[in-house]
Amino acid sequence: MKFGRTILIVISLWIAVITVLHGALNLRWFDKKAEVGTTKTFGVGFLPVTCHLTCPVTHFINKEMEGRDMFQPMRFSGWPELKEMFIGRSKDMPASFILAPMAIALREQGVKIKIVHLGHRDGSAVVVHKDSGIFQTADLRGKTIAVPGRYANQRLIIFRELKKVGMNFDDVKIVEMPPPDMPAALQSRAVDAITSGEPFMGQAELDGYGRTLWQAKDVWPGFISCVLAVHEDAIRDHRAEIQRLVNGIAASGKWIDQSMAHRMDAAQFVAANYYNQNPRLLSYVLAKPPDRVTYSRLKPLRAEFEEIERLGKEAGILQGTAHFEDYVDDTFAPDPMVVQAPHFEVKK
Amino acid sequence: MNRRLLHIILPLATAVLFLVGWHTAVKMSGSDIFPTPYEVLRGLGELARQGLLLKYIVASLFRVSWGFGLAVIVGVPLGLVLGWFRPAYAALNPFIQILRPISPIAWIPVAILWFGVKDTAPVFLIFLASVFPITVSAMAAVQNMQQVYLRAAQNFGLSGFPLFRRVIFPAALPQVITGIRIALGVAWLVVVAAEMIAVNSGLGYLIIDARNAGKRYDLVVAGMVMIGLIGLVLDLLVRRLEKFDEVRWGYGQR
Repeated sequence: MKFGRTILIVISLWIAVITVLHGALNLRWFDKKAEVGTTKTFGVGFLPVTCHLTCPVTHFINKEMEGRDMFQPMRFSGWPELKEMFIGRSKDMPASFILAPMAIALREQGVKIKIVHLGHRDGSAVVVHKDSGIFQTADLRGKTIAVPGRYANQRLIIFRELKKVGMNFDDVKIVEMPPPDMPAALQSRAVDAITSGEPFMGQAELDGYGRTLWQAKDVWPGFISCVLAVHEDAIRDHRAEIQRLVNGIAASGKWIDQSMAHRMDAAQFVAANYYNQNPRLLSYVLAKPPDRVTYSRLKPLRAEFEEIERLGKEAGILQGTAHFEDYVDDTFAPDPMVVQAPHFEVKK
Repeated sequence: MNRRLLHIILPLATAVLFLVGWHTAVKMSGSDIFPTPYEVLRGLGELARQGLLLKYIVASLFRVSWGFGLAVIVGVPLGLVLGWFRPAYAALNPFIQILRPISPIAWIPVAILWFGVKDTAPVFLIFLASVFPITVSAMAAVQNMQQVYLRAAQNFGLSGFPLFRRVIFPAALPQVITGIRIALGVAWLVVVAAEMIAVNSGLGYLIIDARNAGKRYDLVVAGMVMIGLIGLVLDLLVRRLEKFDEVRWGYGQR
């Protein structure tokens, strides 16, 4: 059967060629350099937002200083995929940067994870359209506000601010939206206000149609959006590796905050190698103002989490069945006062 | 003007009209977020210079080839068997009809839980999207086969596997190929959804990644354009299958 044979040969050839090409171009099968010094490491999930900046910075500094991977940074594009990988494939990705209220909620739902460290402080804002008549929180009445998800602490900070002026979620319209889509939604005025982690708020400012209503740091000093959470199995079986990771995160946080030059270097290498964003955007949000997002003082503190817990319960996303000692293991986190930044400068 | 030339000029004219309309619409709306055709072309140039365009095309074709290839290997025999054996049909058809309308996007969480974020997860999603159209068309092809072929074959004493190979399969082939062509379109269609999982290459990934990269909607549209163009090439290739004598007899002439 000539037809059958021709087709079979063509298809087999195609499958072989495309597989080898994919292996060579994307999987680095033939890249000898990739083999050297690669030991099997564990994955750490993150999204390309400044709340997770310490993840790539730790990886980069460690790789530059020691020449090998401390862990495998695994970049996701959205919260649901990151969460599914984290809770479903804990062997491949035992640790992840994740929204603080989401970590607490997962714990309440029986997922055995612990928060071991914070990822950042502040670095969120509420941004409105520059032509809108919204100048204070009370002006948000009846408006549509985009938040990253129901378990985002940005949703809780809105709730907290609304309460201050005697309003609640019934007085506004909250919609959930992936942060990357927010600037365009604000520009086209599909929503009246947006809130998420940076750099997406900075982007709306930088592009000229966004006006910051308030920065998280000004209304809730020390605001925590994301934390580093680890599976209990990994805490039990791989204590040393988790300790190394936490030390790295704490130290690289200090390094970022050490000088504006470090911040600008971080913006460059993270934008190019990890986030695939325009370096100008990261430079902007890391510099203007310099305390828009900070990376020191990252040990989890009871009072702060109890406030999140209380707000989460009031806002209807948490049951209140998990408490600080259930979802936090602060034995890894070093005292922020004694953390030393690594002696590292980017080779120019 | 001869017909061949007309078949080149007419689509080109449509394309030019479309591009001019697109450009004018963007300019008139004053949007600096949605890109003009030229900006998209520049975005494509940038990707090509970085070597990313080739990498991403290869990655997407790799995933579609494997997912779709597995769907053909599973779907065609399964469909033929279900079309022929009534009890098998009775047992499995309702189940297939339940699974068939579930969008691959709904399977994303399952794919991540089962396969993690390696290539296997998008391959699985593309397999799922294409296996059902293939199975159903193969099943229908056997069921709708003209009884006269069967009676003639039985008069010649054919039965069992030879009957299957020499009569049923050739008789069903044209309709099976049509099913495969439709399924290939579907497989390529879901590449964006399949690559929403955290793989780090592919044209679908390009679109998702460009959304993360700030104001890079030129790259979003560039991804869409590439998916469309490659889809066109794939369709032309599968149409060639229909030119073989073994298949062509099954189509009415127009």
